[in-house]
Amino acid sequence: MIEVNQRIEVPASTQAVWEVLSDPHAVVECVKGASLGERHEDGSYDAGLLVSFGPAKVTFRAQFNLELDPPAMTGKVSSRGKDKQGGTKIKADMTFAVTERPEPPGSVIIIDAKTEVSGRMAMIVEGGAKMVVEHMTKDFSKRLTARLNGTPITD
Amino acid sequence: MKVFQRLAHAFQAEGVTATFGMMGDGNMFWLHELHNLGVKVHEVRHEGAGLGMADGWARATRQVGVATATCGPGTTQLATAFVTASRAESPLVAFCGEHPVSDPEYSQRFNPAIFAEACESGFVRMHTADQADEAVRKAFFLARTQNRPILLSVPMDLQQEEWEDDEPYVPSTTMITPTRPNPDPDVLKRVADLIAKSKKPVIIVGRGAQWADAGDAVVKLGDRIGAMLATSLLAKTWLNDKCDYHAGISGNYGSRASMQLMHDADLVIGIGASLNRYTLENGYLYPDAQIVQIDSKPQVLMHGVSAANIYVHADAKVGTEQLEKVLAERKFTNTGYRTPDVKKKLAHHWDDPTQFEIDPGTMDPRPAIIMIDEIVPTHISLFSGSGMSSGMSNMLMQRRRPMNQAGHFFGCIGQMLPAAIGAMAATGKKPAIMLDGDASFLMHLAEFETAVRYEMPLLVVVMNNQALGAEYYKLEVKKMNVETSQIPTPDLGSVAVALGGKGALVRNIDQLRTAVLEWVAKPGPMVIDMRISRTVMSIPYRRLHYGKDE
Repeated sequence: MIEVNQRIEVPASTQAVWEVLSDPHAVVECVKGASLGERHEDGSYDAGLLVSFGPAKVTFRAQFNLELDPPAMTGKVSSRGKDKQGGTKIKADMTFAVTERPEPPGSVIIIDAKTEVSGRMAMIVEGGAKMVVEHMTKDFSKRLTARLNGTPITD
Repeated sequence: MKVFQRLAHAFQAEGVTATFGMMGDGNMFWLHELHNLGVKVHEVRHEGAGLGMADGWARATRQVGVATATCGPGTTQLATAFVTASRAESPLVAFCGEHPVSDPEYSQRFNPAIFAEACESGFVRMHTADQADEAVRKAFFLARTQNRPILLSVPMDLQQEEWEDDEPYVPSTTMITPTRPNPDPDVLKRVADLIAKSKKPVIIVGRGAQWADAGDAVVKLGDRIGAMLATSLLAKTWLNDKCDYHAGISGNYGSRASMQLMHDADLVIGIGASLNRYTLENGYLYPDAQIVQIDSKPQVLMHGVSAANIYVHADAKVGTEQLEKVLAERKFTNTGYRTPDVKKKLAHHWDDPTQFEIDPGTMDPRPAIIMIDEIVPTHISLFSGSGMSSGMSNMLMQRRRPMNQAGHFFGCIGQMLPAAIGAMAATGKKPAIMLDGDASFLMHLAEFETAVRYEMPLLVVVMNNQALGAEYYKLEVKKMNVETSQIPTPDLGSVAVALGGKGALVRNIDQLRTAVLEWVAKPGPMVIDMRISRTVMSIPYRRLHYGKDE
């Protein structure tokens, strides 16, 4: 189990942050290598994610659910996926909450994520998977901040 | 003649010219007779190391290596080496004494049959004295045909009985008809069809291709289809002097540039390579590739889970030659990977630009290894140990040498020094170097004395970071106390001198150069204790533990 807890401060209003985080299309644009697929009747989405583990690149096909609580400005993302070859499975659950900064203006986003990587990929990346997940979370923060600031997203 | 004498004659008739092991009351009379017959009896300091030497002998020659141990506690010492040799597919016979059948309460009693099975090895027992010939013949037959170790268990008291049959011993080779399996022509046509559709083919060669002498055939096929060539770890550097598009090892010991190129492959042809999880990175190194496998085994399950898209049951040489012939008849050629851009990417692809701060009194192992590869002439063989240090030596020792042995097999440390001694004994004691870690070398340090005693011109370069390297980095990544993995060592150069060899302790590249050149000028048993900085993590470890690729 890989646990990542992140606190991101952004110079944008809570409403502006919420608009991004509650929009799956906008969120996916903040995740490098991610693409959004179809929306199903039950409200879940298909998604694709290209992840680099060292020199290996793995494409995951996932399905995720987004549960939102607009009054509380909290949300929960649950995703389950497997790679194209079916040898690796990934399970990720993330909660996020948007609040005002203690010293306005600005907002704070609290992210708690739990990720499990199992199967063949887990055998070859050992501890590296944790580093990759942490890196991806930080990259997400960077891209989200850039989007809210209206600055270009760079690699 | 006593039965132990007959047993010794039988071993000699099987072509045995050397043994490795320790004398005890369960094998001493047999060893004494072998000595009388002119067989070279190598007395070692640990039975397991003796079996490791027989393993090295077998790896170097593909002939049956012979080890020996006395009953009970002598035999149990063989465990790790047995499994290692079995995983290495080395044909071996271990002559093991067994407690007397007439004394089931003997203090050294032991059930070797269960032991052999647990050690992934075959088992043959001489149940009665008159089965001596049959037992030896069966043990050698199984070793030769199954390519694995066979424990031949011979009760002590039965060895002392009289042998009265004067018929000549009939060796196991008379029961074996060597064959080179031919490929099915229809299967080859399917492979040729697949190749015709491929834009980016990679050929991965393994020891099976080396054993079958398929080198020229592989190069010819690669030229025709425009393949990038790679090897398994066990065949490392093979054919890199015959192909400009050689990408090195396929797997975690590969360079970043080569792995990025492999990622684009649409076809992988494995020739005499098991295509295990390490070679294919569980398939992730070649995510979009179809797999063809040419191998002499009836079937192979790649990385334990799936079969190739097309499996060609054939001798590596015969199969490759005939595939090339089918393509030639179709007048098929392809540029594939053979472009100036790929050539440029593969030039200096081993460069590792990442900088680390070096601990005082130590050196960066990377330029040190590169220098060793440059100043040790290519007629000198190389043995690379396992453990953390192999992440450096397997990647950076690039020049082709007569023997280039590497491998993890059972994933244990300490096994390469015995294997190196055995391989050298098998090939006329020609000079060789071994690169290994400090914990690995120290595990069978006593066998350096064996190398001295038998005048082996072996240079051991100990990449000494005074730690259990793998564990050090695994603790570090988990932010745990790395000191628990650190073990200080004495000056191993001085230890080597005390054991009768030469030695040096080096802390910088100039001292290393001087010591290596001294050995190159006059090869003999020598240890260079090369103090390296723990701050330098190998590329494979950076990938495994940090998900980084630089």
